[in-house]
Amino acid sequence: MISHRDRNAQRISALDERAEALHLKRDMGIADARAMHPSIDIVEADPEADRRLLEGLADWCDRYTPLVALDGADGLFLDVTGCTHLFGGERAMLDDILSRFFHQGFDVRAGLAATPGAAWAAARFCGDCIVAGGEEEALLAPLPLAALRIEPATRTSLESVGLRTAGAVMAPPRAPLARRFGALLLLRLDQALGRLDEAVSPRLPVAPLSVERHLAEPVTLTEDIERLVGMLAATLKTDLERRGEGARTLALLLFRVDGAVSRIAIGTSRPMREPMLIQKLFHERLAALEQDIDAGYGFDLVRLSVLAAATFDMQQADLAGEVTDDGADIALFADRIRARLGEGAVLRPVAVESHLPERAVATIPFTDAPRRTTPPKKPDRLQAPKTLFPPERPIRLFRSPEPIDVPATEMPEGPPLNFRWRRALYRVTRAEGPERIAAEWWRETGSDEAASTRDYFRIEDADGRRYWLYRQGLYGGNSQMPPRWFLHGVFA
Amino acid sequence: MAMTAVARETVFALRRQIAKIEGTLPERLAAPAAAPLDADVNADVTIVRRGIAAALPDAFLPIGVERLDAALSGGLPKAALSEIHGLETRDAGAVAGFALSLTSLILKQMPGLPVLWIGTSEIFREAGFPYARGLHASFGIEPEQLLFSEAPRLVDALWVAEEAARMTALAAVILEIRGNPQRLDLTATRRLHARAQAAGRPVFLLRQAAEPEPTAAPVRLIVASAPAVPRGTIAGPLAGSIGRPAFTLTIGKSRTALPGQFTLEWNPDERAFDERWGDERRSEGRDRTKNPVPVVSLSGGGKNPTPASGAVLAFPAVGLPIPPAARDQPSRPQRTAHLSPRRAG
Repeated sequence: MISHRDRNAQRISALDERAEALHLKRDMGIADARAMHPSIDIVEADPEADRRLLEGLADWCDRYTPLVALDGADGLFLDVTGCTHLFGGERAMLDDILSRFFHQGFDVRAGLAATPGAAWAAARFCGDCIVAGGEEEALLAPLPLAALRIEPATRTSLESVGLRTAGAVMAPPRAPLARRFGALLLLRLDQALGRLDEAVSPRLPVAPLSVERHLAEPVTLTEDIERLVGMLAATLKTDLERRGEGARTLALLLFRVDGAVSRIAIGTSRPMREPMLIQKLFHERLAALEQDIDAGYGFDLVRLSVLAAATFDMQQADLAGEVTDDGADIALFADRIRARLGEGAVLRPVAVESHLPERAVATIPFTDAPRRTTPPKKPDRLQAPKTLFPPERPIRLFRSPEPIDVPATEMPEGPPLNFRWRRALYRVTRAEGPERIAAEWWRETGSDEAASTRDYFRIEDADGRRYWLYRQGLYGGNSQMPPRWFLHGVFA
Repeated sequence: MAMTAVARETVFALRRQIAKIEGTLPERLAAPAAAPLDADVNADVTIVRRGIAAALPDAFLPIGVERLDAALSGGLPKAALSEIHGLETRDAGAVAGFALSLTSLILKQMPGLPVLWIGTSEIFREAGFPYARGLHASFGIEPEQLLFSEAPRLVDALWVAEEAARMTALAAVILEIRGNPQRLDLTATRRLHARAQAAGRPVFLLRQAAEPEPTAAPVRLIVASAPAVPRGTIAGPLAGSIGRPAFTLTIGKSRTALPGQFTLEWNPDERAFDERWGDERRSEGRDRTKNPVPVVSLSGGGKNPTPASGAVLAFPAVGLPIPPAARDQPSRPQRTAHLSPRRAG
């Protein structure tokens, strides 16, 4: 039995069959229930966990149809239009759903109808029935008003005027009903009867292509799954070829026997349709996820879907049948690395127009192989202006400048004589600079610290190592803060 | 006769096999072994050698400094794992700089191919992340050519490196690791080396703050930074300025086992190494760097129409004093072009 807190009192929010047999009811106070039956077992409600469970079930229902929607806190809509024949008809499908849920330990009511409203009513009020198209009215007429999915307030006011069944609402003229009880009532009625279309919005976008394989005997071994991926990808290839496309995002869904669903997605940097390559990528991904995927009693349904596709550029092979494209090699290599280690595992630097050294280069996840033939560059604003003597830049830059202690400088504005970095003392033998780099005033920085100018010095220490230091702030400036020194990078 | 030839061929094949297993280059083994054989067999040997001679210039990356190339018996092996050590983490700049200059030399031969730099998160945090703008300015490596891979764990970094080492689409792979991790043992390096050999691409293993230990890499170089010479101007060296990057290089291990210490200077404009001599040979070295092109160009039909061997200077050559006359000279290919027709007539 599950309790929840409602208006400062613990009340029963859900209860099982045995509690029902004890004449306990929903919304009964826990204190009353305890007084009646001191031995009852009470658990605090956890709506979050319920939600997660429902989502898990929705994932599992994906095996019947890609269009699965959540309905409130305790229902699921499955749009099975065009799917039933795959399971041997409506009745067989419903029985399959019910028996599988039963074996998983769920007590499920299901209804199947031509409209979502009728199916909702059928599931909740008549239990496991199939309503043929056109029979919605006959189904709804004897049912209570709650079957119409209307607000409790509307329902009580309808009941107060003696309209207690759905049939009673269908009969009277519509205009006065709408005026008195709101448009929602008639909307729900029309939707249930199929006079108005009602869209069920699915949880997940429907994949443009997916192939799946039901297995008589569940698989548990990763190698078997990989082989299955290869087979599915081979099927997928013909579809992709027909559409002239290649997959950019692929998802592998593994339905475990006991209802858990694992979803494994990979991205490719180039449209891909070769089954071998797809299998390879999933091999890396599965290897990385080895700890996270629990095969349990095995998977009995494996589905491979293309979530995103893009136009596939056919490439002419030479007479030896070899396509020499280094870019493709690198793209595949990067995909494999990313499949195993995550999106950020292969990075590419991009020049950004900025004066601040740390902003001047951004690293982005690798998207596609660098083209060997770069397109003719337009007057490139991203490149640093070609000056006769471009400023020297270090070859390594610290992600965040490291503070250093500078005891003395020769001149207030000059380079340091020595400094302490990472607890070691360095003596400066030569220095070049300063190169003043001002903050970007057009950017919101927030702190005064970041907004102050920096004077960069290129220095060499007694051992010949070359560093890039800067002083933030000015001596004797307006700012209250004394200037601080940082080490920003190292030269070769 | 035919039998002996076949037998010899088998022996050579087996030798090559052994050489491959041992990770040495077959031609190095074959040449001395074949020398004491009789004249009859020498015919066979020359055939074998000729085939190898064609492969030879490609097998090594000449660093461009005679003494060093000689000590390394022709340069750095191109299809191999090479270790570049730095004694402390703060030498990371010099170590990375030296590896990048080697990469730059390789890119001269294979322009346009990308370079992959793999590192653990630790090393990038401790020693700084490679800065694409600086790499472009100092080594001519375009940002589009660079790929970085940052792995949180050493195992992952090694895996990425192994996968990358067998790619022929990469010009070079740089793997940077700090300290002496247990995982980077003989087996791991052997795997890297074997893949690099198969792909024919170099893998540079940068080891910051590491002790030398047995690895499969045929060459180990220990790099530290050397004080740079002042920038040169027309009026002489500019006091207090910091010129081109300089490295002190010690050969820790090589095929020839010749010890040696060198001070190299990287010329970012020409993308080439210069050796800097000690103080006692400074003047000699200075003469060497001077442009040997005569002030007045030789007439085409002259006695000695050797192509002038002047250094072709890239435009922002700040460091080198350029004689005024040399600046008016056309660059090398142009010069030979205008010389040749005259010589014919």
